[in-house]
Amino acid sequence: MLTKVLSAAHFGLEATPIEVEVNVFKKGFPGFSIIGLPNKSIEEAKERVKTALINSGIEFPNLKIIVNLAPADIPKEGSLYDLPIAIGILSSMELVEPPEEKSFFYGELSLDGGLRHTKGVFLLALAAKSLGIKNLFVPKDSANEAAVIGGINVYPVSSLSELIGFLNGISEIKKLDHIVHRSLSTDYEAVEFDFSEIIGQESAKRAMTIAAAGGHNIFMQGPPGAGKTMLARATAGILPPLNEEESLEVTKIYSLTGNIPPGEGLITQRPFRTAHHTTSRIGLIGGGSDPHPGEISLSHNGVLFLDEFPEFPRSTLEALRQPLEDGKVSIIRIAGSVTFPASFMLIAASNPCPCGYLGDPKKECKCTPRMIMKYQAKLSGPLMDRIDLHINVPAVDIDKLIDTPRQLGSQTSRQIREQVIKARETQNKKFKGLKIYTNANMKNKHIAKFCDIDKGSLLLLKQAVNTYNLSARTYFRLIKVSQTICDLAGENRILPNHVAEALQYRIRTND
Amino acid sequence: MTKIFNRKVGREGEEIAAKFLLDKGYKILERNYYTRFGEIDLVVSKNGVLTFIEVKLKHGDDFGTPEEMIGGFKLSQVQRMAEFYLMDKPKMAEIYKTYLIDAVCVVTSEDGEVERINHYENLTF
Repeated sequence: MLTKVLSAAHFGLEATPIEVEVNVFKKGFPGFSIIGLPNKSIEEAKERVKTALINSGIEFPNLKIIVNLAPADIPKEGSLYDLPIAIGILSSMELVEPPEEKSFFYGELSLDGGLRHTKGVFLLALAAKSLGIKNLFVPKDSANEAAVIGGINVYPVSSLSELIGFLNGISEIKKLDHIVHRSLSTDYEAVEFDFSEIIGQESAKRAMTIAAAGGHNIFMQGPPGAGKTMLARATAGILPPLNEEESLEVTKIYSLTGNIPPGEGLITQRPFRTAHHTTSRIGLIGGGSDPHPGEISLSHNGVLFLDEFPEFPRSTLEALRQPLEDGKVSIIRIAGSVTFPASFMLIAASNPCPCGYLGDPKKECKCTPRMIMKYQAKLSGPLMDRIDLHINVPAVDIDKLIDTPRQLGSQTSRQIREQVIKARETQNKKFKGLKIYTNANMKNKHIAKFCDIDKGSLLLLKQAVNTYNLSARTYFRLIKVSQTICDLAGENRILPNHVAEALQYRIRTND
Repeated sequence: MTKIFNRKVGREGEEIAAKFLLDKGYKILERNYYTRFGEIDLVVSKNGVLTFIEVKLKHGDDFGTPEEMIGGFKLSQVQRMAEFYLMDKPKMAEIYKTYLIDAVCVVTSEDGEVERINHYENLTF
């Protein structure tokens, strides 16, 4: 008998419905074959399904079984077809009655007949909602992801035998209630470093606050041991929580890559990702024959920290240019093209030269001019042009380090975070319904609409552009940073002192 | 010991399968056609169709079903041997234009009593 069970395949951030057709023949040489462009992980589903059924107390039929994954021209991967195949076989043998309403079955089987946490459930629920599919049978550990989407019945399934009982009307599986997004949680989660632990570096801390408040890219340069890495890591603690739309966007990507831990639902904490300089281009940007998101997409709406910036291969760095400008990345492969969101805040750290002491007042630089040139050439003009804030992080005076009592440091991360949250709220209110969330996301049309600049500031900007030969892009970026400083100050209008501060972060010492 | 034993089991299976097929109205043309490349358990015909039979026998079900032992590789082996057989006997090839590959799976109890016998027709289709 032929039966059809619905499931889904992922391509990029979209899920397409897949019909799993199962036919158990009454005669013919026994065998189990899966067709419809399965990859190796689906090929292996045979053994998992077979063993899971036997361990659920069902005798595996010694008959000819054919499974077709339709439409047959889309390549399929992943372990998520285990459950629909098992249910298809069971209903083809007339051992279970599939539900009359359209339902998605999705999940990886364990050999003992239990269901394992499977990635992509959040995207499946989104697809179910848009396609009008009522019921969702997903592994219990992943069910919270689906429960975030309202208007569908989410059944958390812990084992195959439980589901068989439910479909036959013997036992009950309790539907999950719709989980509502927690409104801006202001509870502070401690991170590795607190800003109050960093002694000195007040201007760098101020720049970090501005960057976090407006989502601006920031570039730090300084000798080794000055505290660049510490500053960047401490920034994780001053990031505001995600708002609802941001959270949905991040959850989509995390669901696709399987980065949501079992039992968790929406991602509410802003991503903070670090990538080592040996990270491959594909690993950073995303790609592969079946396109996968890279680090820049995983840090969407969050922070990407690239330490030892010039040590990255040049091709990797230059590949960052387009996503830095557009806030998304298009990956085009033979299998099709996928666009992943990649609107992230970049924190880059670097030494001024290979030895690290160029321009240091106390220690002599040992590099030849050629070495310095080669090192700094990695940081190309177009790339640096896309970074709003450039700061120097000089070495801290040893006397200051020893004498300053710990407590007297300065503002704590918690205090700074409150300022940042306030500034972000102002921005969220302004950009409501525009799909942009920060000042750094603004396009030129938004600047014209939202930035109120007074005459004195405009004059100052004009002078700066003429004196320093700044590009048009830099001009607009300057306005964005000024707007963030203005938001932090709680003012409605960009004033000359805001622009002056923004300019101070713009001019690089060796320009 | 195992090599000799395997051959003995093979013989036993062929006996049972041949008897079974005779009852079904097949004519046995050849038993255990053997070359140094491989072998064919039975060559039979019925209604003018030449059929090569692969016989599998299992004592008990402790080591799985005989069906599991016939996979893609075994089938291609039988097919290759069938081609060789027809080359070896051109007269046969003249009489029979097409051929089929079948399998007969026999399960016996530990003391040799036949428990089930299944005949699967046209495997390569």
